Amino acid sequence: MKGIAYFRHPLFVAAVALLALPHVVTGTGFTWGIATEIAIFALVGLGYNLLLGYSGLLSFGHGMFFGLAAYATALSQIHWFKGSLWLPLGFAVLFSAAFGLVVGFLVLRRRGVYFSLLTLAFTALTFYIVYRWTSFTGGENGLSGIRRAPFIGLDLDNQVVFYHLIAAIVFVVAWIMWRVVHSPLGSVLAAIRENENRARFIGYPVLRYKLAAFVISATVTGLGGSLMAFLKLFVSADTVHVNFSGEILAMTIFGGVGSFLGPTLGAFFYTMFREVLTGYTSAWQFWFGLLFMAFILFSPSGLIGVGTRLLAPLRKKQEGVGAMAARVTPQPGQEIPAFLREHAPVSGTILSCADLVKRFGGFTAVAGVDLKLADRKLHALIGPNGAGKTTLFNTISGMFAADSGRIVLDNTAIAGLPPEQVVKRGLARSFQITSLFPALTVWENLRLAVQTRDARRFNAWVPSGALPQVNAETRELVKFLGLENTEHALISSLSYGGQRLVEIGMALAARPRVLLLDEPLAGLAAAERERIGVLIRRLTEDMAVLLIEHDIDRVFGMADTVTVMNEGSVLVEGDAETVRAHPEVQRVYIGSGHAHLVAHREQRVSSSQEVLLQLDKINSFYGKSHILHDVSLMVRAHEVVGLLGRNGAGKSSTFKSILGIVQTESGTVTFDGDVISGSPPERIARLGIGLVPQGRRLFAGLTVDENLRLGALARRTGDGVKWDRDRIYGCFPRIHEKLHIKADLLSGGEQQMVAIARALSGNVKLLLMDEPFEGLSPAMVDEVFKSIEQLRQEVAILIIEHHLDLALSLADRAYVLDRGQVSHEGPAQPLLTDLEFRKQVLWL
Amino acid sequence: MLLFEQIANGLLVGAYYIVLSLGLSLIFSLGGVVNLAHGAFYAVGAYLAYEIERRLGFFGAMGLSPVGVALIGILIERFALRRLYNKDPMLGLLFTFGLALTAEQSLRMIWGTTGLPFSLPDRLRGQLILGDFIYSYYRLFVLAVAITAVTGCWLLLNKTAFGMVVRAGVRDPEMVRALGISLRPILTAVFALGVALAGLAGVLSAPLAGVQPAMGTEILTATFVVVVIGGLGSFWGVVVAGLLVGAVRGVTVYYYPPAAEASMYLLMVLILLFRPRGLMGEKFEKFE
Repeated sequence: MKGIAYFRHPLFVAAVALLALPHVVTGTGFTWGIATEIAIFALVGLGYNLLLGYSGLLSFGHGMFFGLAAYATALSQIHWFKGSLWLPLGFAVLFSAAFGLVVGFLVLRRRGVYFSLLTLAFTALTFYIVYRWTSFTGGENGLSGIRRAPFIGLDLDNQVVFYHLIAAIVFVVAWIMWRVVHSPLGSVLAAIRENENRARFIGYPVLRYKLAAFVISATVTGLGGSLMAFLKLFVSADTVHVNFSGEILAMTIFGGVGSFLGPTLGAFFYTMFREVLTGYTSAWQFWFGLLFMAFILFSPSGLIGVGTRLLAPLRKKQEGVGAMAARVTPQPGQEIPAFLREHAPVSGTILSCADLVKRFGGFTAVAGVDLKLADRKLHALIGPNGAGKTTLFNTISGMFAADSGRIVLDNTAIAGLPPEQVVKRGLARSFQITSLFPALTVWENLRLAVQTRDARRFNAWVPSGALPQVNAETRELVKFLGLENTEHALISSLSYGGQRLVEIGMALAARPRVLLLDEPLAGLAAAERERIGVLIRRLTEDMAVLLIEHDIDRVFGMADTVTVMNEGSVLVEGDAETVRAHPEVQRVYIGSGHAHLVAHREQRVSSSQEVLLQLDKINSFYGKSHILHDVSLMVRAHEVVGLLGRNGAGKSSTFKSILGIVQTESGTVTFDGDVISGSPPERIARLGIGLVPQGRRLFAGLTVDENLRLGALARRTGDGVKWDRDRIYGCFPRIHEKLHIKADLLSGGEQQMVAIARALSGNVKLLLMDEPFEGLSPAMVDEVFKSIEQLRQEVAILIIEHHLDLALSLADRAYVLDRGQVSHEGPAQPLLTDLEFRKQVLWL
Repeated sequence: MLLFEQIANGLLVGAYYIVLSLGLSLIFSLGGVVNLAHGAFYAVGAYLAYEIERRLGFFGAMGLSPVGVALIGILIERFALRRLYNKDPMLGLLFTFGLALTAEQSLRMIWGTTGLPFSLPDRLRGQLILGDFIYSYYRLFVLAVAITAVTGCWLLLNKTAFGMVVRAGVRDPEMVRALGISLRPILTAVFALGVALAGLAGVLSAPLAGVQPAMGTEILTATFVVVVIGGLGSFWGVVVAGLLVGAVRGVTVYYYPPAAEASMYLLMVLILLFRPRGLMGEKFEKFE
């Protein structure tokens, strides 16, 4: 078996291909020169793909490196190194490296499309300089007069000899690139491509790595340009033109960016395609362009991808790892890895925040938080949606710089440090929404996180798999997480539970002294929550843990200290018993049962028995996370129904499933006699479902008037309620006054009124209201409450509201969701008045 | 006075850039596609004008050619580009790159590789002479058309229901759909409008620069420079950037003609280093 693997090694394949290439090319009637050109393009493709395929950076600047190196070769030979082959070549390569460093330093400060466009601008700039500087570069006439000086007695003017010299260089570069992509540096580049943000949060200063890749790539491309100058013995401005950058890109994509040799295959087919077609038609670019578009639409993985797909039926299926990984349920927790046990305990506080403030525009998300974290303790952070918990995490871990306040980690101030520095100092975090490297294996994800602590992490030469310490620690970690049989599965094929475990493991790999976990249990089944809960508890033997979690029962069961946040500030702090019994906490979570504006209402049962909305066992997913489990509920005409439950219980997801924004996997939604599940949102909305979304979501930059007109625009027909302007102004006089003000400049309460009015301006039979009272002042709450009271005469309402007194006094009936399942349904009245019953249903 | 004249000429170039960039910017903000074929639509507009002009005269060409370009745009959007919305923005960029290649080559196949002459419309011959300052009527005409196009775009975006949906869709497409409004026809219309503007710019440039297959590629990068300097997705940013680039070009031509083309790229590099999202750009998470 080993022997066969040896013959399949890409370097072996490359060597054979380089030897066979000229014979294939000359056999089809072309020259050795064409073969040499293909070999040079293959070299450029390898260099380019280090950026495109391995680092995910799309550059339009490689024509510039190629062309400038060609000029550097020609000019340095003409002016300085007459009669030498190696000196101009060496000079051009060094020039490319230096130029790549300068350009890379400037353009890598931008990401994504901006990066691509900046490289485009640099190429255009360079082109015009070269093209216009006639006295130096020859301008549009180009430069000739390059000589292939003899080298150790070889006659390089002989095409065959010259080809073999080039082929040898290409092979050596292929070998070097192979080492680079498999080195620790190469592995970090893949991590950056997959998820730049996470790469920073496991401790890599990404700019340095990207710059290294950019310089290597520019240097290899420059070498190609220099060789091309010696092949053609002529240099023209065409090679610096943006179009040539595009050709390099096209070749690479055409071959396939996902594999090491893909771009070389692209270089071969691109050049042959051009040569063959130019024989028949002058319009080879036409056919090539068509083919290229087809590749983008149908096979973004290039020729290699097509090949793999064609060959797939012939190969034995790699059943096993993938399928097993999809089923894995977390079974963590034998032995805590030794490397996590090395920190000496600190007596007392290890992390403290003092008067920490973080604002977004006019909104203060974290308003002067003081927090002290004791070493080797489990400290939980709870609070309703929008309390500022995740923003606090983001500020501590370096994602945002605090506006004011101090953060001290074991006597070192860490406020204002970038994430990779914070991690270095011993504070690591996990993310609420799984943030991993999806196209890499479980092993590689964890190994990368461990590798940040190895001195050779920036090394571009040693194989990344051959760092014994890193491997040993990764193995310990895999074992601790209980993922032993899934190491070689891709993260994207791993079960959701498994992904949540890797999420924690990535933070652990940094060997933290303080671990920040953001909802590690969210979306997991009960048994999994139990097991991961135990694992988190055990971690506090060796580190301090700060935990955001909405599973309050579990938090009270396991935390040493609980901090409750509300509206950006710390409400209460203490042990579980103190916090549980604290009246303020009860107020925030379950309400008081007698809010001043809740006039005691008589129990009303909707007179109509007509069912307007019916959800029948719907199941919905976000990616792999199963968010709704067999949810069934029903709303009758003219009924107000409350949808209650803790954060992350699936309330907003239920709304999105009703509206078709999230597709339901199974189950049916029926509205007013029509099955609407599977329809696009705009159709569902037109049938008469209005949405007042969480956070209002008014169109910023548009006036109040325009927001309202958009509400009416497409929903003019239908027999539901349609509020005209008089009606709106009658109900919300303030709106009339502010009609021509930009909606985002209104106060929260005014925005809420506009959001309600916008929903009601078109055909509505059922109104979905998501947290209509969030962030409103008490007076505003009063006003909005009254307007909703009035609405019940006209439309049915399904309302999500975490303020239970308000929700329950509005509602006729209520459903309680718990972890994506309906855990209670019944009339609202008993829940409103009987606090003990409310606690039973909603608290414990 | 010569400096003033060069700046006026620079502003004319700026006007072309603005008309092209507005379309590019619209397509980008709503659909998220960086249209590398925008220059190709410009060239197609010029070639269509070449054919129509011979039969119906210049003004017929000016009216019909953008419509023809828009129809081609609709076909491409309906059958291909639509699949790439909401995917990796790189795919849209690559697809339109291939489209540009094919389009340019199609022009060569149909009309030949060399440029074609395109004469000034008779009614717009002659020059405006104010003392030392000389400016041709045709250039004034182009400026007037460009101002009309920009004003028209602004009115369309700010005073019509269509424009309202476009602006809302740029901000929050999901919420637009939740109000019962279908975005698909809007996306198609915006693409058609954007490429029609490119086609119009092509028609206008033909009498000054003639018609040749590579004209689209040449102007494309300049258009990107204007959009990037102005800020992706910003209407006034594009207008200001177009004028700025034009003026800088004019000044450069006066002092050091060989650096005329290079000046705007240098300007872009400088601006992006100090204002990463351009003069008036806002943050678009998915493009960073």
